[in-house]
Amino acid sequence: MFRRLFSNSLSQVKTRRMTTTQAPTASFSRKWRGAALAYLLVAPPLLLMVLLIFIPALQSIARTLTISVDGVPGFSLSRYTAFFSDPISVNNLIFTFQVTLLTLAAIFVVCFPLALYLRFSSGRIASIVQILALFPLFVPGIILCYALIRFLGTRGTLDTVLSLIGITGYRTPYLKPDAIIIGLVWEAIPFTVLVLTAGLRQVSDSLIESARDVGADDWTIFRRIILPLIARPALIAFSLNFLGIFGSYTIPYLLGPAAPQMMGVFMQQTFGQYRRPDEAETQAVITFIICAFIGFLYVRTVARQRITHEKDE
Amino acid sequence: MKIRWLSLVAAALLVGVFSVSAQGRTPIYVYVDSDTNISDWWTNTIIPAFEAEYPQYEVVLTIVRGVGGGNADIANRALAALQTGDDPQVDYFETLNVESVPAWLENNLFVEITPENVPNIVNVIEATNRIPQEIPYRGSQVLLAYNSEFVSEDEVPTTYAELIAWIQANPGEFVYNRPDRGGSGAAMVTRAIFEVTGRDPSRFVPGTPDPELVAQFPEAWALLSSIHPFIYEGGAYPAGNTPVLELFANGSVNMITAWSDQALQAINRGLLPEGTRLTQLQDLPFTGGYAYSAIPVNAPNLEGALALANFVLTPEIQTAVVEQIGGFPAISWDVLPAELQDQFNSVITDTVPTWPGGEYSALMVEGWYNNVATNIDRSS
Repeated sequence: MFRRLFSNSLSQVKTRRMTTTQAPTASFSRKWRGAALAYLLVAPPLLLMVLLIFIPALQSIARTLTISVDGVPGFSLSRYTAFFSDPISVNNLIFTFQVTLLTLAAIFVVCFPLALYLRFSSGRIASIVQILALFPLFVPGIILCYALIRFLGTRGTLDTVLSLIGITGYRTPYLKPDAIIIGLVWEAIPFTVLVLTAGLRQVSDSLIESARDVGADDWTIFRRIILPLIARPALIAFSLNFLGIFGSYTIPYLLGPAAPQMMGVFMQQTFGQYRRPDEAETQAVITFIICAFIGFLYVRTVARQRITHEKDE
Repeated sequence: MKIRWLSLVAAALLVGVFSVSAQGRTPIYVYVDSDTNISDWWTNTIIPAFEAEYPQYEVVLTIVRGVGGGNADIANRALAALQTGDDPQVDYFETLNVESVPAWLENNLFVEITPENVPNIVNVIEATNRIPQEIPYRGSQVLLAYNSEFVSEDEVPTTYAELIAWIQANPGEFVYNRPDRGGSGAAMVTRAIFEVTGRDPSRFVPGTPDPELVAQFPEAWALLSSIHPFIYEGGAYPAGNTPVLELFANGSVNMITAWSDQALQAINRGLLPEGTRLTQLQDLPFTGGYAYSAIPVNAPNLEGALALANFVLTPEIQTAVVEQIGGFPAISWDVLPAELQDQFNSVITDTVPTWPGGEYSALMVEGWYNNVATNIDRSS
């Protein structure tokens, strides 16, 4: 039954291809019309992106690279040398990298087993786990912060439970880097699990069954089949999470220490409190360039996926 | 499903009742962007009392807290309406810094308050430093809150030097928030600056900072750095007034700096420990300030707005300022009940030092972050 359906659709594809090659002139104008329509459809969002994102970003970058001497603008890297020679700024940038990478590592440690479990098991418990994994999606960041303060803080829920079972000397992570990581991991779970399970669903059961038939054990299946097939969704989850974490604000600001600061908090501080828009702009451009590089990785991954999909067809 | 229908019908009925009862009363449009404690207090105390006294008016309260620029946006709208002769749809600003946008005063957007239009303005005290367009009506000051179960009466600090000594003698027992995230923490920092500059807040004038004073800031950083390792968790500073109150409430720390109104309200609601006491430094109190209302000249119900201004300055409402929101009265103690003064004597001082803000705040915040909160030496 399924096979017949499948072959039917295949033959349809073939016939369609044949008609297009047979009538090139008729399809040419239609193709043009279609292309024009497509461009018309993408024009508004594209225009919005160019006007609201690309042009201001380029202007910002240009501004940070010019310095005006006696009213004559000239090229200068002085804003960047100032940033990189200031120990506090550099320390904040390093701190942001550390927190981001540690958080990403923790996200994968938590989410990968969760995604594997959700892919290969079914039933009531699995659907409960699924709902729980998606739950953070519906909790606003600021609510999460106050909940974590109450849960992790000195004399909070965790402290109380631990002392009930005889463990004393609990030191709270609140207002320390650890609390930022905990908060960010919690927030990233639903998205990461969604992407990873979606990726794992592409690994067909038949592939695993046939591997098992020829004698592969679980570890071999994981290493030789699942891991290569999930590399791309994992890279997508990595890059999108990186972007979110690197520029995060609410969680590091409410749960983290006063110093060092992550770039999001540092920028806001420099702009709003120290009243130094120029320095804040430089910090923003540096953050933007780092994120743009990761964004490039993401775009490349998605583009490659699209190309291989088209080849498969 | 039934319940939903019923509640819809009930809501429709309520709306109907209100619109019927509102007929024949002139509305006074009041805009508020202060914290919940203030907007609640207006809804539950001021408005019912005012409407009972002036049945011809109906106060319509609009809360614009956290919406764009809050009351400043509404004032800009009123200015635009003034220039085009339109209805500004506002009669009264609960709190507005009328000097924050120069165009407002340049175009005479606000009514000058005199004893002729608001008789009770004569009772307003000097300390409020009002300009003619301002109606100061509630004040608040930062003070020390401590848990008397753990801090005995004889060790309660009465001067800033004693406070510093107490913090050093009791590691992890004290906390204040980052100075840019709430006035209670900022007061701890500005008080250190006042301490090293001769305890004379009058030297700090709004505008361009005095280089002579700024040159002394490092001494304040040294003073605050000397207590840094003794702060909660070895130097952890929460990001707001409320998180500090929470640490005090759950017993993580036993002494904090807190806003008088927030602390008193939390005590009244039973949110703070039983033994919570409030005190003020005797050598120079922590900073504070007043909230100023304002009335636009083009208010559609100018008469009602002026009546409301006069009403909030009556002894009745000023007593409520002290008792209900833990604020300071803006009018003289002479016209207030004597027992009220006795009750809040330790907390309410007659000197309310102010910090100039603006450029001074930028220097204060940046200096604190770069010298007190971090262990990195920027000069190296």
